[in-house]
Amino acid sequence: MPGFLDDLETLVPALRRYARALTRNTDRADDLVQDCLERAIAKQSLWRPTGPLRPWLFKIMINLYRNDRRRQRGSLEQETLDVLPFEPATPATQGARLALAETAAALERLPTEQREALLLVALEGMSYAEAASALDIPQGTLMSRISRAREALRAMVDGQGPKLRSVK
Amino acid sequence: MRDDDTITEADLNAYVDGQLTPERRAVVEAHLADDPGDRERVAAWQAQTATLQALYGHVADERPPARLAPWRIVADRRRRLSRVAMSMAAALALVVLGAGGGWVGRGLIMPAASEMTLVSEAEAAHALYAPEVLHPVEVSGEEGAHLTKWLSKRLDRSLIIPDLTSEGFSLVGGRLLPAAQSAAALLMYENGEGARVTLYVVPQAGGETAMRFTTKGDLTAVSWQAETLGCVLVGNLPRDTLMKLAKTSYGSLDAGSNI
Repeated sequence: MPGFLDDLETLVPALRRYARALTRNTDRADDLVQDCLERAIAKQSLWRPTGPLRPWLFKIMINLYRNDRRRQRGSLEQETLDVLPFEPATPATQGARLALAETAAALERLPTEQREALLLVALEGMSYAEAASALDIPQGTLMSRISRAREALRAMVDGQGPKLRSVK
Repeated sequence: MRDDDTITEADLNAYVDGQLTPERRAVVEAHLADDPGDRERVAAWQAQTATLQALYGHVADERPPARLAPWRIVADRRRRLSRVAMSMAAALALVVLGAGGGWVGRGLIMPAASEMTLVSEAEAAHALYAPEVLHPVEVSGEEGAHLTKWLSKRLDRSLIIPDLTSEGFSLVGGRLLPAAQSAAALLMYENGEGARVTLYVVPQAGGETAMRFTTKGDLTAVSWQAETLGCVLVGNLPRDTLMKLAKTSYGSLDAGSNI
């Protein structure tokens, strides 16, 4: 148990980062991480993951996130989104700040499955194999989600409307 | 081998994500030098990654709030579980009282009507399948992953099949049964002496309850309501053994809605 708890602890910062990017809301993100840790601790003593811990934990958290969203669907409650998740430490130019806010907003408009996939790889730096296992999908599906996410983001942020992808 | 000259969309993504072998990387770089369109695309994707890092990368450098410390979560959990154990002890005390106290005491310890239905269903299932030699289960415990997936799907819950080996019981397997309102899962366990217990699980929401004992003939049932599951453990075993098994199951049979 102590070894397991130490391993969990080292993964908490990454879980928070991912949850923050998914929810764009500090409190909701930390609630999600807490639920995830509680569930992992409840499960581990009896159902110890055979594989590595990181994708297992992310899988738990992503499932919780999806359940949350399912529950909230249809409720009129507006959630508060952090417009910009932080005050940049170095004063960024107006333009750079705008670009950040724009990307953050565009990310929110992506289909959930694409956002989940892209963030695992681009933000968390997971290998494709690891990310595919966290999402419980084949690697090919993962890669096509990432690719679609990138092109959709590009279209939104460039402000040129949806672009036709070059057929290769 | 694929044709090395064909650069796919997957190659471009893997290039951006640094997941190509050095050889493949060189091939992609050569392609990019000749293809301004793909070059622009790749540059835009790289900029996206950098932007995502700028937006959220700093979160991992923050000091997490105290409530996210795993040791603390474990401590809170222990406190909660011991409260459950205490309410179970209280329920046991009532059983004793009830035995001497006649009808007045009896009213206090009788499980609710819906739980009684659940308990009788579980007892019936146990009585039918536990003595079965040839086909006690539909899917054997050796196919654990398949069993979990199948039952989770049919019950629309992410089931965690409890591991009771610490108490000397191994999983025989499981089967699906009709229940009053939905499907039920019946999990069967067996110890070294061949004694069998079954765990009857029905998806139903309700407030979590303490564990309750009911006895019918030589069978004893421990029933409780978890977050989204009604559970009944049935066996012909001493109460404290059943209680230990029930507690172990309780910690594990935690379920979210369908995943």
